[in-house]
Amino acid sequence: MNLNSFKLRLKDALVPLILIFIAFLFSAVWISFMGKSPLEAYSALFAGAFGSTSGIVNTIKKSVPIAFASFAVIVSTKANVFNIGAEGQLAMGAFGATMAGIFLKGLPAAIHIPAAILAAALGGMAFALIPALLRVKRGINLLVVLLLMNNIARFLLQFFVLDAFASDNALVPSTDRIMESARLPYLIGPPYRLTIAILIVLAVAIILELFFRRSTAGYEMRAVGLSPEAARYAGIDINRYMLLGLLLSGALAGVGGGLEILGNHHRLYIDFSPGYGYDGIPIALLSGGSPLISILGSLLFGALRTGSLTMQAKVGISDEIISVIQGSLILCIAANYFVKYLLNRRRADKKGKEAAK
Amino acid sequence: MVYAVEMRGITKRFPAVLANDHIDIAIKAGTVHAIIGENGAGKSTLMNILYGLHKPDQGEILINGQKQVFGSATDAIACGIGMVHQHFMLVPRLTVADNVVLGKEPRKGLLYDRKGAIAKVAEVCSRHNIQVDPGKKVADISLGMQQRVEIVKTLYRGAEIIILDEPTAVLTPQEIDDLGEILRQLKEGGKTIIIITHKLEEVMDFSDDISVLRGGKHIATLRKEATDIPELTRLMVGRDVQLGGRKESAPGKEEALRLTDIGYVAEGRKVLKGISLVLHKGEVLGLAGIDGSGQSQLAEIVAGVLTPSAGSIKFQDRDITGKTVAQRKKGGIGFIAQDRQKHGLVMDFSIAENLVLGFQRRPEYCQYKIGVNSKAVISGAQKRIKEYDIRTPGESVRVSMLSGGNQQKVVVAREMGSRPQLIVADQPTRGVDVGAIEAIHNILIDHRNKGGSVLLVSLELDELMMLSDRIAVFFDGRLMGILDSASATREQIGMMMVGSSLPKQGEAAKGGKQAESRKEEPVS
Repeated sequence: MNLNSFKLRLKDALVPLILIFIAFLFSAVWISFMGKSPLEAYSALFAGAFGSTSGIVNTIKKSVPIAFASFAVIVSTKANVFNIGAEGQLAMGAFGATMAGIFLKGLPAAIHIPAAILAAALGGMAFALIPALLRVKRGINLLVVLLLMNNIARFLLQFFVLDAFASDNALVPSTDRIMESARLPYLIGPPYRLTIAILIVLAVAIILELFFRRSTAGYEMRAVGLSPEAARYAGIDINRYMLLGLLLSGALAGVGGGLEILGNHHRLYIDFSPGYGYDGIPIALLSGGSPLISILGSLLFGALRTGSLTMQAKVGISDEIISVIQGSLILCIAANYFVKYLLNRRRADKKGKEAAK
Repeated sequence: MVYAVEMRGITKRFPAVLANDHIDIAIKAGTVHAIIGENGAGKSTLMNILYGLHKPDQGEILINGQKQVFGSATDAIACGIGMVHQHFMLVPRLTVADNVVLGKEPRKGLLYDRKGAIAKVAEVCSRHNIQVDPGKKVADISLGMQQRVEIVKTLYRGAEIIILDEPTAVLTPQEIDDLGEILRQLKEGGKTIIIITHKLEEVMDFSDDISVLRGGKHIATLRKEATDIPELTRLMVGRDVQLGGRKESAPGKEEALRLTDIGYVAEGRKVLKGISLVLHKGEVLGLAGIDGSGQSQLAEIVAGVLTPSAGSIKFQDRDITGKTVAQRKKGGIGFIAQDRQKHGLVMDFSIAENLVLGFQRRPEYCQYKIGVNSKAVISGAQKRIKEYDIRTPGESVRVSMLSGGNQQKVVVAREMGSRPQLIVADQPTRGVDVGAIEAIHNILIDHRNKGGSVLLVSLELDELMMLSDRIAVFFDGRLMGILDSASATREQIGMMMVGSSLPKQGEAAKGGKQAESRKEEPVS
């Protein structure tokens, strides 16, 4: 890589950072409207997320399902579909893992855990199958379908947790606990309880990067995502890749939900996900389609979710401010083109396009 | 004498390319000055410098004898320079008037004065005798009209010097004539016009003076009366150009492709009606017709991207009617699609990635069954770039960064590289410069000479007559007849293109007029 393309890369990396900065700035305005000091709020946020070992561990823990949700969105986008149904698929994955965790009995952990993760993947995939078929067979726009599927998932979850698989001996409504053999082993034991889930995140990100960069199927999927018409003219079956992309996306979201149960809760609650599936969307957009980079974004969102509790306790700002930050981030991404334009204009001279002319 | 524009010693270097190399150019006030050159000759860069979009590394610019330094396009506009880009920069949802005044809107207090805008735009139009409806939405008007809006935009900002970048690329023949008229009017009104182009017929039609660039250098500036198309071509390319290739043998007799009773229906309209024809080995079969007569659809049916509603296709004695695109590629059919940017290339892929598109499953590009063999892809790309003279700093450059001619070379290199028996070429030279046209012609004819077959769709009658052994003429989805190109005349073909069956000798002259009135563009 020569110096010039390195500079270009640097610029690409700069844009997401600027967007995040603007989002924080914007939210600071609201915080001051509430009569609080943004500086105090943010330092509490930071302290909560990174100021202690348990804070850091919690940040990492929360980043796991978020990272899987962002993988899900990235994979679907590469296949020219926009999966905003990750939240529902995540819930169904959690359900699949819980079922495998409760009802598969007498298995050693080395088999039980992979089986439960597989069940999570199948749960998420099954829930993505209906929209995928609607898209491929009927050409229906998925945005609305996927969004509504999230609601269906929520109600299904309520049915499972409050009725069909409700535990008789739990203080809050939930299912029974999963078997010991299905629980993820700890990297750092109690009181921190950091499980191997973070290693699974890393492994999956690397596999996905290799898939897109090095495999023939990944190449074909990228072609479909970037230019479906050119892909069709090249003889690539674009429907197959849309189907494959959405199913793989659903499976990834499902695994994210499954790991949350297998690693942290060990039983299924109605509200086990505060919206991890939605967190994946801005991260996927910010990371420029790279699973490895999206892990960084997931850590940021994990930190927001962790630190907001401290912020609430110390400064007295509702943790809903996290939604405001996320909302402004999405707005900023929409305005991303504008920021890119400003940066490009300053370096218009150096653009290679004219060089080729 | 004071020139409207003088550029002295302009030098501009981009990473890996010296785009402008000490260019001296002087443009007389009140003339139409053409700047010509192949893609990549540095025309656009030079004009972007004049318009303040680029800063030159060296050299100076004089406008009406005054030295000027442009930091941005705003400075250039203030100096009376306007530019109409090849891709129009209009907001489709706004009206013509809104678009013209955008950025310099008339105001009533704090508010935008819409009526004032319409009145002002109408006034500019009538002063220069340009017909545009200021109240229409840009989305609803033709490309030719949009171009006029762009011209009006520059006039509204007080431009005295107007640069047009490839102004005819998107226009129909009629619109090109209209543009010529507008340019004449502007010139008479005292404006100085600079057009960038590589289409020489228009240069001869429109301009007073012609400057030729090649490889970033200024080669010559000539008066139109003192030159002709062959000389300009030679100056542009740097050598004599031989279009049409050289056929070395008679076409073969062995059948390569047989279409039987092909029909195609789209949106309830019969696009193709009962087409039957045969293409032999070692033969170029040209498909002629007015744009939209069904010839492109026929090409796409043979390539497999369209499914015929009736009929059968036989290739090398096997029925391939139901085969997929991938199977046909594997079986030896290459396809140069008409729209290279939409169908031929993934614009965000690199050159190397595009060179394997559609062939990514061939064993030589694969590794361990499922992986891409990057080394083979890259070395293959480097070989093709050399072999097909694709002008690029390297194989990892995104294909969207290349000029049209080089993009097309990527498509041709890919489709020919798999050594197909049949090549289906749908307007393979559309919008590329004369050097690339020559290269593509040679490649197609070379393929034919080696015993391959070519199914060629072109709207350029001259190109068809030069390259084809036989020409099949289409009208309204029907095959009007197949002519031997050695004995066929432009008049005969032109007549059949507008719906007459094979004309008798006496009618040929009348047909000639019709063909001419359609303004077939010669390839030069």
